[in-house]
Amino acid sequence: MKNIFLLSLISAFLFTSCNKENDIPVDQITGETTPASEYILLKKDTTDNDLVVELYAQKEIIEIGYTHLYVKIKDFNGADVENAAISFIPIMDMGMMQHSSPAVQPVFNSSSTFYEGKVVFTMDSEMGEWELDIMVNGESASFDIEVMKSPTGTKNVGSYNGTDGKSYIVSLIKPFNWTVGLNDVTFLVNKRASMMSFPAVNDFIIVMDPQMTSMGHGSPNNISPVSIGNGYYKGQANFTMTGDWRLNLDLIKAGDTIVMANIDILF
Amino acid sequence: MKKFILISFPLLLGGSIFSQEDTLRFPQTYKEIIIQGHKKENKEKTSVQLQLSTDELLSTTPGITLIKRGNFALEPTIRGLSAGQINITIDGMQMFGACTDRMDPISSYIEPTNLEKIQLSTTPNGEQAGSAPGGGINFALMKAQLGAAKKFNGKLGAGYQTNANNIQTLGTFQYSTKRWALLVNGIYRKADNYQAANRQEILFSQFEKWNAGVNLVVALNEKNRISLDYIQDEGYNIGYPALTMDVAFAKAYISAVTHKYENGSRKLRSIESKFYFNFIDHAMDDTRRPAEMVPMHMDMPGTSRTFGMYSKAKYVLNSKHILTFEFNLFQNYLHAEMTMYPDFGSEMFMLTIPDGQRRTAGLNVSDTWLVNQKIKISYGGRAEVNLSDITTEVGRQTLTSFYNGEAAQTRISGNAFAQANYKLSNKFSIFAGLNYGQRPPSLQEIYGFYLFNRVDNHDYLGNPDLKNEASFNGNIGVNLKYKKLAISMEGFVNSFTNYITGLVLPEFSNMTIGADGVKQFDNISNALLTGGELTVKWNPIKSLTVQSVNSYTYGIDESRSFLPFIPPFKSINSLKYGYSGWNVKLEHVGALAQSNVSTERFGEGTTPAFNLMNFAVQKHIELSNDKALHLEFGVDNIFDTPYYEHLDVMKIQRQGVNFVMRTTFVF
Repeated sequence: MKNIFLLSLISAFLFTSCNKENDIPVDQITGETTPASEYILLKKDTTDNDLVVELYAQKEIIEIGYTHLYVKIKDFNGADVENAAISFIPIMDMGMMQHSSPAVQPVFNSSSTFYEGKVVFTMDSEMGEWELDIMVNGESASFDIEVMKSPTGTKNVGSYNGTDGKSYIVSLIKPFNWTVGLNDVTFLVNKRASMMSFPAVNDFIIVMDPQMTSMGHGSPNNISPVSIGNGYYKGQANFTMTGDWRLNLDLIKAGDTIVMANIDILF
Repeated sequence: MKKFILISFPLLLGGSIFSQEDTLRFPQTYKEIIIQGHKKENKEKTSVQLQLSTDELLSTTPGITLIKRGNFALEPTIRGLSAGQINITIDGMQMFGACTDRMDPISSYIEPTNLEKIQLSTTPNGEQAGSAPGGGINFALMKAQLGAAKKFNGKLGAGYQTNANNIQTLGTFQYSTKRWALLVNGIYRKADNYQAANRQEILFSQFEKWNAGVNLVVALNEKNRISLDYIQDEGYNIGYPALTMDVAFAKAYISAVTHKYENGSRKLRSIESKFYFNFIDHAMDDTRRPAEMVPMHMDMPGTSRTFGMYSKAKYVLNSKHILTFEFNLFQNYLHAEMTMYPDFGSEMFMLTIPDGQRRTAGLNVSDTWLVNQKIKISYGGRAEVNLSDITTEVGRQTLTSFYNGEAAQTRISGNAFAQANYKLSNKFSIFAGLNYGQRPPSLQEIYGFYLFNRVDNHDYLGNPDLKNEASFNGNIGVNLKYKKLAISMEGFVNSFTNYITGLVLPEFSNMTIGADGVKQFDNISNALLTGGELTVKWNPIKSLTVQSVNSYTYGIDESRSFLPFIPPFKSINSLKYGYSGWNVKLEHVGALAQSNVSTERFGEGTTPAFNLMNFAVQKHIELSNDKALHLEFGVDNIFDTPYYEHLDVMKIQRQGVNFVMRTTFVF
């Protein structure tokens, strides 16, 4: 009798803990967890096929760089739509020209019931106007997005003209929970194939050298990022102290340094 | 076994003559420098000793050499060993400096006014509170005396030195009854920049400090007494010309409660137990340096807190064996940080000692075996367990910068020693000893993070994988004591395995602006130190004393490189004439050149020889009611000789000619 009671207690506990875990989607790239309940609704729009598209993010303010975006699709009755075909098309309208930017297309996460994707905003809204088109089953919903500069002393994304004549975009992957000591760092590398197409690049060898620019010293024991697929490169950066750090990244292909990128971190 | 040295030392150091060896006195394997005593005949000597600084008292002791970084807080070394290799305690209490640049050896937090005596041991011994291969220094605190002849007594002193405009005022006061006694002491010292030879001002060599101590002794009954100690020591605006930074303040708070049981007629002669706590608050500062000397402004505060206890017992097994036991526990916590403020960009912060903590438990057992009238052997050992860890998350994160293992570690270390003394006659004895010592690396050596060493101009990283440093030590010596002549001679060999030093990490970039690179603390397989001391005292006539104190150390490592901080041959010779309260002393201090250096490996340069002369005249005036007035006038470095010693960091010139005036009133 006693045992059964104990067992049911344990199983109840197990169940609740399972449920709890399911609430928190784990980012496949960084292992980061943000509970879906903390997503912040930015805007809503309705498509021509009568679907309500809600755009969520982790913060109300969108900063330049790699940004997690979450989409909830509801039908006219307010029920979740879980099997829509959905894609992100970010558009930067600079007046004279328009271009897109790298994006990781959203996929449905059954535990959070959100479509989850990422967009790399390569400029801030002073340079032009950002519009994010979300295609849902062939129809689009449009969102104007205000992209802020990153805090002074930081640089989370950079565009570089490679020595191979191509243009590349290197972005630092969130979250930015920097501490003194060894930190996981992940980058996303995309090539500008055209103004509207930014495929991920997986075949670079990256050499990373963190430098404390105001003191002119580096740090030991860094692990240069290596490709983990889909354009992501993961390594470890050693910050021996807080302050301004510059991550110098040499993107190498066939022995030639194609891109010399730098990312600035402040903590 | 070294009792003869113990006896010859006070002789050499200038004063009272001790009675012959009392075989039932408890074993002591250390030398003593008496500063204050309750004995009446100590009055004159105390008047002199009280006015000296702790550094001056240490510097004239054979075997001790001081590392100098400024005109304050010199760091003692014993026979070429320093820091974690020796065990420095205050009245048996463990205490650890807070500064990452070794600016505050704990000897800088006590003053002669606090002290009864300084005890030096050059080898592991039964009284050591920590396992260290190089012996140690214990600063025994002055205790209030119960039932003193005078209910209220004390000493007042003042001194002035022309060089550095150095002033000091001191006082000690004692109120004594049969049941309780209270001792209060204080000192204030202040100096400006000193002048080297040819009136060359040494910038940033100033200091100011005060120190106050109180001791209360209460006799619970005939055999039990309780003693309370509290010392507060605060230094301000202390310059370190050999370093890149000065000190804004260095404060220490030292407290202890001691219970002592003594019974002269029982086999269990005594039990002494002490509980203590001390705290050091230290802040490095560069704001007084001119801007062109400071590439980047930074703050470097550090704290050290230690609490602990010991309990020691003396047990007379029979007429031939005296056993001593000591059990001690202590915990030390070190925190040191650095914040840098660049002209452009954000401020930077790091932990230089990432919240390291060590807990130690140790047990000493030793036996003094009086084999027969002629032979005495003392032997014993210490075993201790050390638990080291980092206590904060940011500290553990910092460690990941250079180490990917666990922060926590446990070590076992210990000492074993055996010393024999053979008395051939009343005038002649020989002694020899064999010791083994092992020490755990210090918290700095395990967890230190870019600690800057000015001598080799490298940043140092800790190394949690360090092995314990160990040494075999042998010593042999002779003591001669005739009516007019006393000679004490001792030689030693100290053979190290896993000697801890810094090895260059070529791929690493230094953190300190202008440094030459990064080293990490590491073991090298061997190092050897050898040397000895010779002291001679001769009284051709009763009123004239000629004495000579000489010491020499030689040290090499496995690759035949000369070890750093090894003093060359040094000799202190004096001629002292005493007549009816007058004392005239002429002193020669000299050292040979040190060319045994490994500049490439350890960054040290050679040091030339020097010879200088000091002169002092003292007048001791006995007054009525057992009062006395002591007057002293002296000239240090009479010929204004330019010089520095080998252990002076950055070869900063020492003080030129200096006129000293001191007066002490004893009542």
